[in-house]
Amino acid sequence: MQYFGSVATAMVTVAALCMSTAALRAFDDAIYPDLNGQWTRAIVPGAVGLPPFDPGKPTGRGQQAPLTPEYQAKFEATLAERAAKGLGDVEAVSCLAPGMPMMMQAYEPMQITVLPETTYILIDHIHESHRRIFTDGRAWPKTVAPTFTGYSIGRWIDEDGDGRYDVLESETRHLKGPRVFDSSGIPLHEDDQTVVKERIYLDKADRNLLHDEITVTDHALTRPWTVMKNYRRTLDPLADWPEYICNERIPFLRIGTEIYRVGEDGHLMPTRQNQPPPDLRYFTQPKK
Amino acid sequence: MHYRTTIGAVVLAASLCGTFAGALAFDESKYPNWKGAWRRVAVPGIVGQPSYDPTKLPGAAQQAPLTPEYQAIYEANVKDQALGGQGTDPTYTCLSPGMPRVMTTFVPFEIVVTPQMTNFLIQHIHDSRRIFTDGRDWPKNIVPTFVGYSIGHWIDTDGDGRYDVLEVETRGFKGPRSYDPAGIPLAFDNQSIFKERIYSDKADPNILYDEITTIDNALTRPWSVTKTYTRVPVKQPEWIEEVCAEGNSDVEIDHQGYFLSGDGSLMPTKKDQAPPDLRYFKQPQR
Repeated sequence: MQYFGSVATAMVTVAALCMSTAALRAFDDAIYPDLNGQWTRAIVPGAVGLPPFDPGKPTGRGQQAPLTPEYQAKFEATLAERAAKGLGDVEAVSCLAPGMPMMMQAYEPMQITVLPETTYILIDHIHESHRRIFTDGRAWPKTVAPTFTGYSIGRWIDEDGDGRYDVLESETRHLKGPRVFDSSGIPLHEDDQTVVKERIYLDKADRNLLHDEITVTDHALTRPWTVMKNYRRTLDPLADWPEYICNERIPFLRIGTEIYRVGEDGHLMPTRQNQPPPDLRYFTQPKK
Repeated sequence: MHYRTTIGAVVLAASLCGTFAGALAFDESKYPNWKGAWRRVAVPGIVGQPSYDPTKLPGAAQQAPLTPEYQAIYEANVKDQALGGQGTDPTYTCLSPGMPRVMTTFVPFEIVVTPQMTNFLIQHIHDSRRIFTDGRDWPKNIVPTFVGYSIGHWIDTDGDGRYDVLEVETRGFKGPRSYDPAGIPLAFDNQSIFKERIYSDKADPNILYDEITTIDNALTRPWSVTKTYTRVPVKQPEWIEEVCAEGNSDVEIDHQGYFLSGDGSLMPTKKDQAPPDLRYFKQPQR
């Protein structure tokens, strides 16, 4: 009895210690795909200009976005206005966050960090976007403050039953606007009821190729719009992480309803022929 | 005999325990638990905009050890701010505050620790940091940034097998940067070096310290301050998305700050400020 008791006590003690350590070591990263590191959007042969929402199709009308007639008209108006102002596709006319789903174009390198509770997607473009995909089993909160990035809940899937996760399924809601799909200005609905569903997974043959299958459901669309984004892992572990300071890069300034350009000499410039200058009614000093 | 058997059981159990642990490439137990949201600790009696040294009032009370040249720059900044200008505080047009000001942490922030890197996710203007802990050396060429290039080392100071201090050195800056909204300037040569020791309070794991020492050519000696943060006691913190450009009414034209009024017109920020030069416009002023 004494023998059994001492062995049992020892086993229980070590097991307890082991459990305690295991609790601290809760993250078995062997069961998650290795998404960590720096990723850049995969170059599409023949593609020119700023990256469109569907990387497999030309920008602008070439995207064949399934817009409702109302939002197709808004898009056409944007194209016409930009043509009149000589803007064309623009990275941004303000430094508002691109938000979802545009941010997943990964205009600048993207950091992914996988932890059990959260997968982080960090992209420093226009806005320093911190995308958190919560994988801790939480339910949708009753109230969420809308954001450009939205609120994302994900779950890991072991599709082939090998004991390791291979797909991160994510759903994103609670967005704010204005947002567009890409730099050509394809609009999302002003009601911001967008739902973005994603399947993020490594290529089976090439573990340095990442896929993000994105399906957008939005009231500006006649049907859900699905595209596939592809990203390449940066193999240099010392790769640079550029710092994107929007107002250093975007030379536009919105004053009232007008968009002006700030020239290299710092002076205000028109963005279209015969554009009126800004109203200076509040200045008592004479114009320089 | 019983004694030996007991030892055998312990060894067996321990080895099984080790086997399970061996499968774990990222042993979180070696690192301090800094999960959750952190916010800066307000010091009683310290009012106004958060200052660089959180234990002292903003402005002259900071007693920044500035060289005479930079003290004069600072004082000119104080006068300009008193007139409604921004002085040497460059962040009004959404420029990144950079180091060391980002560590003021205007909003709750998150620390993401992995073996290769520790991320400080601070959603303010453009405040987040990467601290590389993968053993890398300083690159030959660093592209200057506002937050700089940070290399860290984890230290097990008490020899208990767990890291308890993250030592960080940060170099490779661009500017302009100021320590705080009062406009205490860093040297315009951007040769700043920051050394930090980041660690949890030994008695309270929900308190975090960042001892920051700044070496900068605007200073007569290294300047050390300690920032203190407390963990927000909620299981699912709400992460605020702050987009600086959203609702920011400050604009800069030809190195002059102006204000956008509610009716969309430009306004001066200082009495008798001249309007911007409109030489490129052919249309008459509205």
